[in-house]
Amino acid sequence: MPEQRPTLRQWIGLTVTGLVLIGMLILPGYQSPYDLLTYTRFLVLALMAQGWNLIGGFTGYAAFGNVGFFGVGAYTTGLLMLSKWHVPFFPALFSGAVLAGLIAVLIGLPVLRLKGHYFAIATLGVAEAFRQIADTWDSVTQGSTGIDLPVRTDGEFFYYSALAFVVLGILVTIALKRSKIGYAWVAIRGDQEAAKMLGINTTAMKVLAFAFSAVFAAIAGGLTAYQNIHVTPGDFFQLEYTLQMIIATIIGGTGTILGPVLGAGVYQLLSTYVWTRFLELHPTVLGFIIIVFIIFLPRGLMPVLTGSIDVLRGRRRFRWQALLANVRAHRVT
Amino acid sequence: MNPVEFGQIAVNAVLLSGILALVALGFSLVWGIMNIVNLSHGAFVVLGAYLTFYLHELVGLDPFITIPIGMVVLFLVGFVVQRVLINQVIRAPLLATFLLTFGLEILIVNLVNYFFKADLRSVTTRYTGAGLSLGPLRIPYIRLAALFISFALVAVTAVFLRATRPGRAIRATGMDIDAARLTGVKVAQIYALTFAIGTSLAGAAGSLLSMIVPFDPNLGGTYTQRAFVICVLGGLGDVGNVILGAILYAFVDVFVGARLPEMSQAFTFGVLVLLLILRPQGIAGKKFYA
Amino acid sequence: MRLVSRLASLLVLGLGSAPILSLPAIADDTIVFGAAISITGKTAKEGEYTRDGYQFAIDTINQMGGIKVGNKSYKAALKYYDDESKSERTAQLFEKLVNADKVNFLLGPYASAPTATAAPIAEKYRIPMVEANGSAESIFNKGYRYSFMVLSPAKLYLQGVLDLVKSLDPAAKTVAILGENEPFSKEVAQGAAEHAKEIGFDVVYHELYPSNTQDVSSLLTNVKAKSPHILLGAGHLQDSLLVVKQSKDLGVSPRAMGFSVGPSSPEFRANLKSDGDYIFGATQWTSALRYVGDDPWKTPQAYAQAFKAKYPAYSVIPYQVAESSAAVIVYQRALANAGTLDPSKVRDAIAALDITTFYGRIKFDKRNVNIYKPMAAEQLQPDGNKYTVFPIEVAEKKALYPMPPWGQRANR
Repeated sequence: MPEQRPTLRQWIGLTVTGLVLIGMLILPGYQSPYDLLTYTRFLVLALMAQGWNLIGGFTGYAAFGNVGFFGVGAYTTGLLMLSKWHVPFFPALFSGAVLAGLIAVLIGLPVLRLKGHYFAIATLGVAEAFRQIADTWDSVTQGSTGIDLPVRTDGEFFYYSALAFVVLGILVTIALKRSKIGYAWVAIRGDQEAAKMLGINTTAMKVLAFAFSAVFAAIAGGLTAYQNIHVTPGDFFQLEYTLQMIIATIIGGTGTILGPVLGAGVYQLLSTYVWTRFLELHPTVLGFIIIVFIIFLPRGLMPVLTGSIDVLRGRRRFRWQALLANVRAHRVT
Repeated sequence: MNPVEFGQIAVNAVLLSGILALVALGFSLVWGIMNIVNLSHGAFVVLGAYLTFYLHELVGLDPFITIPIGMVVLFLVGFVVQRVLINQVIRAPLLATFLLTFGLEILIVNLVNYFFKADLRSVTTRYTGAGLSLGPLRIPYIRLAALFISFALVAVTAVFLRATRPGRAIRATGMDIDAARLTGVKVAQIYALTFAIGTSLAGAAGSLLSMIVPFDPNLGGTYTQRAFVICVLGGLGDVGNVILGAILYAFVDVFVGARLPEMSQAFTFGVLVLLLILRPQGIAGKKFYA
Repeated sequence: MRLVSRLASLLVLGLGSAPILSLPAIADDTIVFGAAISITGKTAKEGEYTRDGYQFAIDTINQMGGIKVGNKSYKAALKYYDDESKSERTAQLFEKLVNADKVNFLLGPYASAPTATAAPIAEKYRIPMVEANGSAESIFNKGYRYSFMVLSPAKLYLQGVLDLVKSLDPAAKTVAILGENEPFSKEVAQGAAEHAKEIGFDVVYHELYPSNTQDVSSLLTNVKAKSPHILLGAGHLQDSLLVVKQSKDLGVSPRAMGFSVGPSSPEFRANLKSDGDYIFGATQWTSALRYVGDDPWKTPQAYAQAFKAKYPAYSVIPYQVAESSAAVIVYQRALANAGTLDPSKVRDAIAALDITTFYGRIKFDKRNVNIYKPMAAEQLQPDGNKYTVFPIEVAEKKALYPMPPWGQRANR
């Protein structure tokens, strides 16, 4: 369908996004440094989720090892900054992103031939292997002792950098979605054999998605490394980061543009709230939340939000049964 | 490596393979029949371990006697979990059940942590550490018993799957769910039964482990991982494949552990990834239970 | 119904993030010490010891009139969070303590890895952190000026056991070392290996195993083949337990077995029962030592008595408790010397300290590490108790040596 004048829905979407963006820009003036840290974490998570969304959401290949690229980005950034050339932050960060992308291509070529569970497990294994390599390659990574990046105290720097990357990520996602690449991804997710028959080079497209996700993760890794200062294999290759980015994307809505960002926000909000109130049971509550979302809202919140615009306009009725629709569709009796 | 070292390492590997087979069997059954990769499998292992520990400490039961008790309890727990929770999303895309079981794992482990604390526990009896000495080789009694019990349970499960009505119904559902339904199989019940068998076996493994290693609520994670690898190594075809996979895995793990302990996990995962790329159906198996 | 629908969706759309309210302001005459400690998770027990050590010292100081700074007396208070034994949480919590809770000074977490994550944060905000439970020297090789290590560094941990065995049995020659692959344990293992060679031992085996390992039988099989006289383990409580259990399983019977962490905790004995007999443990401090210090308790014995009175659940006092209290004492003295609450002046005052306490001598070298206090060693003995056996001058009982082989012991 040809793109004509933006619809009301698109105007609303644009306005809301614009307002949020303005809010985010003036935020630091009104928040304590600790709260700013929380917002920065949200943005970094959004970045990782955006990347994951490309391979897991659009292309339908649920990668379970993207923290591997996160760690690669962290260590590359850190090691370059600490090297004798004292590479400044942004060049080091971009080098990390490029390296992660290349590694993703190398690994993606064989691994993307697998499907479903096997692909997930293979990527999980790759991330684990990276962790072990970082842990034992003492001469380069200092092994389990870790490395310490130069100390930088201004939280605003990290906040604005992360915000800039997230916005960039949104634009990149829009561009990709509308391009042939985006259509190819969705085609692969729908029916890979048919896509092949239509002449789409599925291997190249899949590898591209994977590489993009790696780049996003690596940038997130480099930012986190610089902000946290201390980088160890145990912290920077942990499964929890992969799970956070997947859950954030699911909460927000896979295969959508703003989904990952929304999901990251909701996740961070929930996590912070739960952490302050239910510290000891915090993982339990998170686990429970994951279960609830999977059962009742597997397509995430974006469809709910876009749907609610219709409801507000009186065009559609909101039914609680809609939440059970997923269960009705997927249960076994 | 001298022959004595080699011999002892081989013995260690054989002993290890028993428990691994037990853990992997439950996991593989659930995966093969229901196409669910149950990330919470390890949590049920932990539950079994704690059950044995408390029955031993509070009631004074010998840990081996607690095994059947644990199995029954975990069977019921697993049945309920599947019937009430997992059955709701079972036909959703793979990611859904993956994440659901992951959420379940976090929930269970954290609840165990909350109620029982993270202190290390061991089940120590008069016969802990005693062993058979075959010349220079040592075979600890408890590990030997664990090996026999594991294989006994595996054998019983295999017979159950082949020779009983429910067992055949399970296999039929795994092969062709619609055909099974047409012959009157209640799929929801069968799924619950399958999952319950899985958790019950996991619980038994946990009970055995409680006697062998000091454990805390985080015990389960590595066993879920190993169950993955074993299923990929052996394939999902049938019980024999699981045993094969477990033995192979145990040998690789123990021998690599002896020579390159730091790299043992990276090595294992490297092998796994290679195997997935070159032969995803595993060394011997097919992709579903038949 | 439609109104409800519309309201419901407005609610959904209106999901914004609310800033998290921070806690009420701290009273003016209180000095707050902040820490992230592992109250749950893998090192939960040791985290509890740390917290109790901090709290006990603070309570005692308050009872005696508080901390004197200049001519004002301040109440001391502890604000802590649980980092669940996860070092990335530690960093986040320290940020919270500094930024949101605005604590005055920092106390360290439990274990080296979390301390390594916290030290850069103390440096970032230029607030002193006195840590009492992270002994990896690698933390202090980065030139951080605001963190201070009260306890003896990792490489000294197992030296006492080696020295003791050498004095009891000059013929003992071979040593096998197993270590957990993480910063602290690596240093312990390395320090043990170097010291062993220095005093004339042969290190016949030196391997690291992954953290959270469930099985060291392969390594122990190798060790058994070499029949070492001494087996040393550098890990944490869980691995130490594993090594002992699997040594018994496999019949690995050296003349002496020693661990850097484990034997001094009650859990060690509780899990192993009589299998723990004859095992040596490195310890930073025991109540049998004979220091006389200038602090609220003065001697180790008095400290132990006072602590037990307040915390009767403890049958023995783990060294983590004592060293945590020592950290608070460091602040008490430094604040008195500095005469101000200004963080950088307090930092300088800490760096200049040279005091003897119930915990031993506390003085910091150029890297802010306390290398001036020696390590001690304990042994679990068949009567069910644990005794200080090294340094020999202050030993409570003679060490029992050698360890009877596993097969020849009567199980209790």
